[in-house]
Amino acid sequence: MSIRYVDVICRFSKDGIIKPLYLIWEQNQKIPIIKVTEVCPRSSLQAGYTGLRYTCIFEGNRIRHLFYDRGKWYVETR
Amino acid sequence: MKKVILHCDLNCFFASVEMLHHPELRNIPMAVAGDPDHRHGIILAKNVPAKRKGVKTAETIGEALRKCPELTVLKPDYDSYLYFSEKVRDLYYEYTDRIEPFGIDECWLDISASISYFGSVDRIVKELLYRVKEEIGLTLSIGISFTRVYAKLGSDLAKEDAFCYIDSLDDIKDLPAASLLGVGYHTGEKLKAYGLYTIGDVAKKPLPYLKEILGKWGESLYCYVNGYESAPIPKYREQIEEVKSVGNSMTSIRDLQNMEDFKIVLSVLCDSVSARVREKKLFFRTVHLQVRTKKLEIRTMQMRLKENSDLGKDIFNCAVALFEKNCDFSVPFRSIGVSVSSLSYQKDGLQTSLFEKEGYSLKQKKEETAIDTIRKRFGRFSVSSLRVLEDSGLSSFIPRNDKENV
Repeated sequence: MSIRYVDVICRFSKDGIIKPLYLIWEQNQKIPIIKVTEVCPRSSLQAGYTGLRYTCIFEGNRIRHLFYDRGKWYVETR
Repeated sequence: MKKVILHCDLNCFFASVEMLHHPELRNIPMAVAGDPDHRHGIILAKNVPAKRKGVKTAETIGEALRKCPELTVLKPDYDSYLYFSEKVRDLYYEYTDRIEPFGIDECWLDISASISYFGSVDRIVKELLYRVKEEIGLTLSIGISFTRVYAKLGSDLAKEDAFCYIDSLDDIKDLPAASLLGVGYHTGEKLKAYGLYTIGDVAKKPLPYLKEILGKWGESLYCYVNGYESAPIPKYREQIEEVKSVGNSMTSIRDLQNMEDFKIVLSVLCDSVSARVREKKLFFRTVHLQVRTKKLEIRTMQMRLKENSDLGKDIFNCAVALFEKNCDFSVPFRSIGVSVSSLSYQKDGLQTSLFEKEGYSLKQKKEETAIDTIRKRFGRFSVSSLRVLEDSGLSSFIPRNDKENV
C-alpha cells in the first residue's frame, strides 16, 4: 500500500467547508464525485498517511477514500 | 477527592512522524539526527529496530553507525513535528481544558473534572490511545496517577501504545531514585553516596535530612517522592508566558581556535539575542556565557551588569570579558551559547547610572534598532559587521529562536 497525490477540483464554501467535486485522473480525465458521505480524521501506518479522510461515492456507486492533509489531496494505491 | 493526572508521552516522536511519511522505514533501523555537515550530528530519536541494535538517543552519528552500519539517518523536519504536536494537543483538548505541555512530545492532563462526563478513567485513556493511533497515526504511553511526577513515572513504565496506573508509593518504591523526574546523574550519585538507592529509600527520609544533603532542591524532591503537589495544571492556552531568559547557542562548523574565531561567532549570537530582547521590549541585567570544548566539557559563566540594557554591544563586551577571565584556547571550543536574564520591562523611561561614564548609550541603541529594521525588510545578511565578513563560513548561520526559557 502506498499513496498517490492527485489533483482535485473543490468548492470552498463561505462557511469554510471544503467539498471535493472532481478528481483529475490519468490523461486529465475529470471524474465527478457524486456524494461525500463521511469526513473524519484518519491515519494508516501501512500506507503512510495521516489527515482528513473523505469517503466519496463516484459514478456507478464506486466508493473510494480521498485524503486531505496540509493542502494536498491523495488516494491510496495498491 | 484525589486528582487524576495523565502523563501522555508520544513514543519516539520524531522517528514516528518520519515513519508516518515513509512507511518503508518502519521495519528497518532508522534514526533522526542533527545535520552531520554542521556537526550537530547526534541521534535525536530512533525507531524500534534501531533500538534493538543498541542505538541510543544523544550519541553521535558515528557511534550509532559503528553499532548498526545499515542505519538510515534522516534530517529532522521541525515544522512537521510542531504540526503533529499541535494536532495531538488539540485532540487532548477534547477531553480536558487543563493541559500542561512538557517539551514537544509530552503533556500532563488533569482529567479529574471530565471523568463523570466520559464515564471512567479507563475509557478516557483507551479512547485517547485509540484515537491518537487511528486519527493521527502516532502511539502514546500514558501514566495515570494523582501527581505529575508519579504520572510521568507511570508513562515511563508503560510500554508503547499502553498505559500504567500508579496508585501509591508502594507501586514505585523499588525503582531506582534516578528514574524520578529531576533526578539526573549528579543528584543520583549524591543520593547513592548517602545510601539512598531506590525511591522507597528516599521516601523514608524526613524533609530536614534531604534539605541537608541537597539544599533547596531537597524540599522539592521530598514533595515529589511523597506525592505532595500543590500547583494545579493550568488551563491550556491560558498559561501566562513570562519570559525568564533569552538565549542562542551555536555549534560552529569548525573548532574555534583563537579569539578572532570566538568573536566572529559571538557577535552573530549577540546580535540575535539582543534583537530578540528588543523585539519583546525587554531589558536584561545578567549575561550568561556557555562554552563547550572539543572534549565536550561545558563551562558556564555569568556576569551582572551595572545597569539594565538591551544592546548587543553590552552582551558582546560582557561575554568577551567573561571569556578572557575564565577560559583559554588550550583546548579548542566547539560551541558557544549566550543568554541574558534578570529581564524587566521599562515602560516609564530608563534609569541610567549617575556615576558611570560609559553607561547605556542611546546612540548605540539607535544604531542597533536601525539594523533591526533593515534586517526585517531585507533579510538577515543584508547588513552585518565587518568582523562577521572576515570568515563567512563561521558566521553564515542563522540563530533560531532555540532557547527561550519560560
